[in-house]
Amino acid sequence: MRIVIAEDDPLLREGVALLLRAESLDVVATTDSPDTFLAAVDAHRPDVAIVDVRMPPTHTAEGIAAAVEARRRQPGLAVLVLSAYVEQAFATELLAAGTDRLGYLLKERVGRVGEFLDALHRVAAGGTAIDPEVVAQLLTRTRSDSGLERLTARERDVLALMAEGLGNTAISERLFISGGAVHKHIRSIFAKLDLAPTDRADRRVTAVLRYLEETQRRG
Amino acid sequence: MAARQRKPAGTRRDGRQDGRRGVAARARGLFDAFEHLVGGLGTALLALAGLLWLVLVALTCVIGLGLLLAPTVPRVVRSVAERERGRLSRWGPEIVGLGPAPAGVRAALADPAVRRELCWLLVHATLGLFLGLAALTLVVDAVQDITYPMWWRALPVQDPAPTMVFWDVHDDADAWAVALLGVGLAVCFLALGTGMARLQAWPGRRLLAPTADMDLSLRIAQLSATRAAALDAHAAELRRIERSLHDGAQNRLVAVTVLLGAARRALAQNRPGAEDMLERAQETAEQALAELRTVVRSILPPVLADRGLADALAGLAANCGVPCRVDVDALGRCAASIEATAYFVSAEALTNISRHSRARHATVTVRRAGGRLSLRIEDDGVGGADERHGSGLTGMRSRIEAHDGRLTLTSPPGGPTTLDVELPCGS
Repeated sequence: MRIVIAEDDPLLREGVALLLRAESLDVVATTDSPDTFLAAVDAHRPDVAIVDVRMPPTHTAEGIAAAVEARRRQPGLAVLVLSAYVEQAFATELLAAGTDRLGYLLKERVGRVGEFLDALHRVAAGGTAIDPEVVAQLLTRTRSDSGLERLTARERDVLALMAEGLGNTAISERLFISGGAVHKHIRSIFAKLDLAPTDRADRRVTAVLRYLEETQRRG
Repeated sequence: MAARQRKPAGTRRDGRQDGRRGVAARARGLFDAFEHLVGGLGTALLALAGLLWLVLVALTCVIGLGLLLAPTVPRVVRSVAERERGRLSRWGPEIVGLGPAPAGVRAALADPAVRRELCWLLVHATLGLFLGLAALTLVVDAVQDITYPMWWRALPVQDPAPTMVFWDVHDDADAWAVALLGVGLAVCFLALGTGMARLQAWPGRRLLAPTADMDLSLRIAQLSATRAAALDAHAAELRRIERSLHDGAQNRLVAVTVLLGAARRALAQNRPGAEDMLERAQETAEQALAELRTVVRSILPPVLADRGLADALAGLAANCGVPCRVDVDALGRCAASIEATAYFVSAEALTNISRHSRARHATVTVRRAGGRLSLRIEDDGVGGADERHGSGLTGMRSRIEAHDGRLTLTSPPGGPTTLDVELPCGS
């Protein structure tokens, strides 16, 4: 897997590169600004780009724009966006053109190396990785009449993990339940929320995220 | 405009009525009175010019030309009045300026402030002018007459009498009589000088000060402006803190978790390099702590809360790049927000001095007079500090004005630079 990193903090940039190289992943370039990042993407045609949201010159959301631009230049590029804090508005902007091959995670998740590598591989393989924090924001901001309150506590757990982009096996491992139980919960969730059932993880993420966004409280 | 800011004699620090000091204070008071009277003469001449312009415009109204010129009259009157307001504010209670005059003659005449200014113009152009001229004549003649015996012999023989002397001077006795007259004039000024100065200023203080309701609306406008500036300064401060937390400590801590995660992976898989990663993680955590300390200090330095402004300023001076003397006198404690503002203004000013001024010495002087804290920061550097360049000074100003304080910067090219700050102490 060929990786390009865009992160303006030198310590963090080298830390992430060190970690990935220790896992025998191929970090082909590390960059510190949107421009050098896009140049590196053009030059190296990587499989995955890991991009920090806050970068020069204004240190606001340059990373999001750079990620969107990189995907426009190289369709099929998997992008994992890292951020010091998650903002659902950034997620919405990023996911507007579909959720496949996209990830949006808090920076400190990198320290949970196992889960971070899972997310990286999932995104590279065409899936999605959404930070639990974003999902939590979406869940708490939904309207009270959205149908979510019809879900059981366990079904809400499953819904949250689905929204993060996890597949059935991963969900069953996280919640220590059988694959059959996960399957049953998911069918029940889709029925209660009036969503068309699907087993493909990426379509599920889209459906669930869109559902959550549409049912958000206004204002 | 000779009047410069002086401490009124009555508020001098020492209460002891030592004889010599009493005389010095009286002499100082008289000198100030003379300065004020001459300054008043300046604005009285301007007032006279304004009055003449008014009469000229009124007369030419008959042929129509005056109607065209009429709108200039309120502007002329206002600009003369603003000069007087500024002059009076420098040595007495502040008289807030009113800004530009209303456009149009009708609107101006409907404005009570303009009508009061017209009254003042009339009085100051006559009585004020007379008092100013009288004071100037008294003092000049007194000096001339007292010194007359020393130089009268040098005068041409046919015209040996000075002005305002009605006898011919033929010998030393006559000359000494002139000197006696000079002493009389000096005594006159001694007795009347301060009263004349007060009388000359009185119409301005009465008629140019805003009336109660106007004062209130001006005050509201000023408060709204300073409040908006305070909120801006507050938001900018929060942004600064957010940025320094994000770019500093937060990024360091994320790096720590990344390094720790990598080290754990290496240990679990029996790969080498874990020790190295742990060491780097520890270093990074220490950096994060150092950065947190810096941020905390920049929010509110603990020494300020614990030990007060004097010690906090001494700490600043010790860390300043330029040798800096701190002179703090009988300060006591002020409201925490005032102390913090004084501290940050000093910190910012000293930073500017070490960065830009090329000064060899700096002095920070803090005094407390009544309910006001005055802070003066001086350096002997190259000067030329300009508020329009660099946001530091603007930030200082909005911070100070948010507390209803005042900031004055004097920094001619070539130096020296003086920054004067006045803050109300708060309760």
